[in-house]
Amino acid sequence: MLQILDLRFRYGKRGPLVLDGVDLSLSDGEIGVLMGRNGAGKTTLFKSILGIEKPCGGQILFDGRDLLSMTRRERARIVAYVPQDIQFGDLSVFDTVLAGRMSYFGLKAGREDESAVERILADMDLEAFATRNVAELSGGERQKIAIARALAQEPKLLVFDEPTGNLDIANEQLIVREARRLAKEKGIGILTSLHDINQAIDLGDRFFFLKEGKVRYAGGPELISESVLQDIFEADVRIAEIEGKRIVINGGFYEE
Amino acid sequence: MADALRKNRTKNRRIVIVLAVLALLLAFACLFAGPSRMSVSESLDALLKRGSSAQVRILWNIRIPRVLAAVVAGAGLSVSGLVMQTNLNNPMASPSTLGVSNAAVFGANLSIIAFAGGFLDTGRNVANYATGANPYATSLLAFAFAAVSILLILGLCRLRSFAPGVVVLAGVAIGSMWTALTTILQFYATDVGLSAAVIWTFGDLGRATYRTDVIMAAVVLAGLVYFALASWRLNALLSGDAAAKSMGVSVERLRFFSMLAASLITAVCVSFLGMIGFVGIICPHVVKRLLGQDHRVTLPASALAGSILLLLADTLARSIGQGSALPVGAITSLLGAPFFLAILFSRKGGGR
Repeated sequence: MLQILDLRFRYGKRGPLVLDGVDLSLSDGEIGVLMGRNGAGKTTLFKSILGIEKPCGGQILFDGRDLLSMTRRERARIVAYVPQDIQFGDLSVFDTVLAGRMSYFGLKAGREDESAVERILADMDLEAFATRNVAELSGGERQKIAIARALAQEPKLLVFDEPTGNLDIANEQLIVREARRLAKEKGIGILTSLHDINQAIDLGDRFFFLKEGKVRYAGGPELISESVLQDIFEADVRIAEIEGKRIVINGGFYEE
Repeated sequence: MADALRKNRTKNRRIVIVLAVLALLLAFACLFAGPSRMSVSESLDALLKRGSSAQVRILWNIRIPRVLAAVVAGAGLSVSGLVMQTNLNNPMASPSTLGVSNAAVFGANLSIIAFAGGFLDTGRNVANYATGANPYATSLLAFAFAAVSILLILGLCRLRSFAPGVVVLAGVAIGSMWTALTTILQFYATDVGLSAAVIWTFGDLGRATYRTDVIMAAVVLAGLVYFALASWRLNALLSGDAAAKSMGVSVERLRFFSMLAASLITAVCVSFLGMIGFVGIICPHVVKRLLGQDHRVTLPASALAGSILLLLADTLARSIGQGSALPVGAITSLLGAPFFLAILFSRKGGGR
C-alpha cells in the first residue's frame, strides 16, 4: 500500500511550492487516477514517488517502508514507471525489456532474468516481437513494450504518466484493458494521470483531484460531480448519463 | 523465441570476432608498410630480428610502436565518442564536444610557444621538435589542461544535475575559450614557435614510443573495462534520464564517471599524438547503423572499428607522404567522411 504524507516539493532552493502538503493513499490492486489542470503537479508527484526528483518535505511510504531513503535499486524493485514520452534505444524488444531487470542483476543478466522476460512477453502476447527492433514499432506497441519493461521490475506499484496520450482509440482501449488486468490479476497498484475525464471514470477506482499543490478531493467514482470538476478545472462541464454510464461533456457550447 | 534470440547473439558475437581478426591482420600487415621501402621479406626478417640492424631498428623501434599506437588510440577515441554520444543523447557528441581536445591543444601550445617546450632550447629544427630534450613536457602540459578543463565542466554540470543539454553547452563554451586563448598565444608566437605549435596539432602516430603506448594502453584498457561493466546502465540511458533512474540507475554518477573516463582517454591520446579528429564520430555511428545500440556489442565493435580506421589512415599517411607522413588526423577524415556519408545516406542501413 502506498501512503504519501504531507509531501512538499519545490524546484530549486527558493522556488514556489509545487506540492504543498499532498496526502494520498492507494491500496494494492487499486487504480488511482490523478487529475488536475496542467501544471497542478501531477508529473512532479510521480517523479517524487519514483525518486527522479527529490521532494523537500514529507514522506512516501510503501508498506510502511520509506521510499525516499532507499537506494535507487531497492526502489526500482517496488515502483516502476511508464513515462509519457517513451524513448527507446536501437535495441531488440527482448533486450529492452531485459533492461528492466537491472535492479536485480546489476552488471550482467542471468538465465533467470531472461526467463522472467520470456514469461512477461508471453503473458502480454508479445512473444512474436522478441527479436524485433523497438525502433520499428508503432506507438501502441511501444507503449506495451514500456509496460513489459516496467513489469520486468516485478513492481508492486506502477506509475503510468498519461498512458493514452499519443494513442488512437483502439490502442487506447487496449492499454486501458491491460492496466485493469494488471491491477486485478496481479494486485499491482497503479497510479496514473489522464487528460480525458471520461476515460478516467472508466479506468479508475480512486480519484485524486490536485489543486494548488494539495489533494483537494479524494474518493471513489461517486466523487465526480459537476461542482467538483468545475472547482478543479475552472471550466464549465456538465455530466450526462447514457445507458447508465456517466459522461462528462463540455458545458460551454450550450450557453450561446 | 529463445532460438531466434540465441541466433541474434551468435551473429553479434561473430561480427565482433570478425572485426577483431580483421584488426589483428591489418595491424600485422601494416608492419610491412612504411617510407623506408623495405621489402616484405626484409620486414619479416627484421621482425624476427634477423635483418640488418638498421632494418631491425626500423621495425621494432618505429613501426611496431606506431602500429600499437594506432590500435590503442583508435579504440580509445572511438569508444570515447560512443560513450559521450550515449551520455549526452546527442549524435554529434565527441571528445571535441567537451572541449577536451581544445584544452589539450592550448596546453601544448603553451608549452611550445611560451616555454619553448622540448625543442627550442636544444636548437633542433622544427621537423624534429618531438625528439627534443623532453618530449613529455608538452604532453604533460597538454594533459594537465585537458584534465583541468574536464573537471571544470563536470564540476559546473554538477550544479545542474548533469542534464545532457547543459553538459554539451558548457563543453562548447569552455572549448571555445581554450581556442580563443590558443589564438592569442599564437598571435604572440615567433615564427618557429608558431610552426612547431601548429605541427604539434597535426596528429602524428610517429610520436609514439613503447612508453607512451603502454601509458595509453593502460588508460584505454581501464576505460574499456569500466564501460563494459556499465554497458547495461548505458543501455538504460538510451531510454532517457527519468526512465533510467526509475530502473535503478544512478544517472548522475554514471554520467560523471563515464564522461570523466571518456575525456581522460581522449586527453591521454591527444597529449601524446596530437589531434586526431572524427574517429570518435565516424566509427561509433557506422557501428550503430549496422549493429544497433546495444552497448554489449557496440562497445567492442566501436573499439575495433576505431583501431581499423586509424591503422588504415596511418598506413595511407605514411605511404603517400614522401619521407615524412601526412597528418593522420586529416587522413582519418578524408578516408572516413565519404564512407560515413555513404552509410548515412544508404537505404539499406536505414532500419537498423
